[in-house]
Amino acid sequence: MESILNALVSGFVSGSLYAIMALGLTIIYGISRVFNFGHGIVAVLGGYLAWTFFTRASLPFVVSLLFMLPVMYLLGWLVYRYAIRGLMKKPNADFSTVLFMLGLGIMLENIILQIFGPRVKAVPELVTGSIMLGAIKIKNHELALMVIVLLGIIVLTQFFKRTRMGQAMRAVAQSIPGAGVVGINIERIFGYTFGLAFMVTGFSGALLASKYFMIPHIGWDWMVKGFVIVAFGGMGSIPGAVVGALVLGMAESFTTLALGAVWVWPVWFIMFLVLLLLRPQGLVGGRN
Amino acid sequence: MFEIKDLCSAYGDIQVLYNIDLHIDEGEVVALFGPNGHGKSTLLKAISAVHPARSGSILFKGQEIAKTPAHKIVELGIAYIPEERFLFPDMTVMENLNMGAYNLNARKSMAENLEFVFDVFPRLKERRGQLCSTLSGGEARMVAIARGLMCNASMLMVDEPSIGLSPSMKFAVFEAIEKVNREKNLTILIVEQEIEHALRMANRMYQIRKGRILFERKADEIDVKEIEKAYF
Repeated sequence: MESILNALVSGFVSGSLYAIMALGLTIIYGISRVFNFGHGIVAVLGGYLAWTFFTRASLPFVVSLLFMLPVMYLLGWLVYRYAIRGLMKKPNADFSTVLFMLGLGIMLENIILQIFGPRVKAVPELVTGSIMLGAIKIKNHELALMVIVLLGIIVLTQFFKRTRMGQAMRAVAQSIPGAGVVGINIERIFGYTFGLAFMVTGFSGALLASKYFMIPHIGWDWMVKGFVIVAFGGMGSIPGAVVGALVLGMAESFTTLALGAVWVWPVWFIMFLVLLLLRPQGLVGGRN
Repeated sequence: MFEIKDLCSAYGDIQVLYNIDLHIDEGEVVALFGPNGHGKSTLLKAISAVHPARSGSILFKGQEIAKTPAHKIVELGIAYIPEERFLFPDMTVMENLNMGAYNLNARKSMAENLEFVFDVFPRLKERRGQLCSTLSGGEARMVAIARGLMCNASMLMVDEPSIGLSPSMKFAVFEAIEKVNREKNLTILIVEQEIEHALRMANRMYQIRKGRILFERKADEIDVKEIEKAYF
């Protein structure tokens, strides 16, 4: 009983981290139709930047985030403005943008490796200690992570619902010609979208790096997880990414409990393939 | 107020419009007739810069706008209501109307325009919380027109507003467009296959054939037989 409750908690913790990680991916895809194959490394970059500001510059964690987020936003905007924007106008844009993002990921991974080296790094825990909830023990750090993720998701959904820019992003996601007809500058919105998505992705990287360890190439692992989650929940759908992440987070912790950690990937992919057979549009349903 | 000179437009290697000359006075309703695939929608897309023209000039209130991007055209005051509607399916009616008032000029007069739109289409007021993907064809057409009205434009281009609608819905849509012209004094360029309906409100008409203007007639010199003949 106790181990089941523990698995439940740990599934919830990793599920919420996966959720915020998958959001950056689903935002870019949902709005601009560009598949970010460098997603995981962008998250890792966010993690390393936060780590640098936090441990090297000795800034408080929240301040480190405040420094890291604008850098990530700027990077995303630059990537769109000086590379993706041109590629999207050419034939074969689906393919060339994917290859560009993949190449960018490989390049960033090696830059990170050159600067920070191959040794394992971790962002220290935000708060130490733990509390007992009935029979189960939860780390305060994990509780803090869940609260931060929850707040992040609320802020994002409110941004898309209430602000003029967020609404314009949804409009572009739903109909590009419709957005053009009402006078939305579509390229500008794509630029903001890349900035926002890189920012969210970097943010998730900083959180992931405080729960798990971090090495430059761990990003590829995170990216595959992100892809499975996004496709599982529904491509381009924010609720889809959150639900997908929680389901797969639970699957991960219960598989680890019942069969051992090596079975996590096989179980994930079996669930993923079965879902694709039954509901190709994903659990919540986004775009195909 | 609005003048096109020597406009040519093409899709890739296929030229669709040849040397179009056309002018519209302020507050005028001008109808554009012609068979399918002869360039009527292409002309509206060229004006709105959704598919910009190859060459030629477009003057709007004395300003050259042939090279202006689509989002600026809306801001300058030309709203385009495409035949395909292009609504935002996962947004409510209200959210779609809000997006119509996206440009900064429209933002200021949003409340007033919303009141007018709900007055013209009371049905939309009832349905304002409903997702657009769940609307009937006629209601979706109303949202498209209403969203165009929210742009706060001084000129409205409407592409086949009655296509695929029931007779009573057609009537309601034409009535609404007439009301817009009458009460807001909007200049209107309308493409329509329902010649009789369109002629009731038009001050002038142009006939397009194979990408060229075939003839132009004022309301009192229009001969429906002549128009019908031009279709074949």
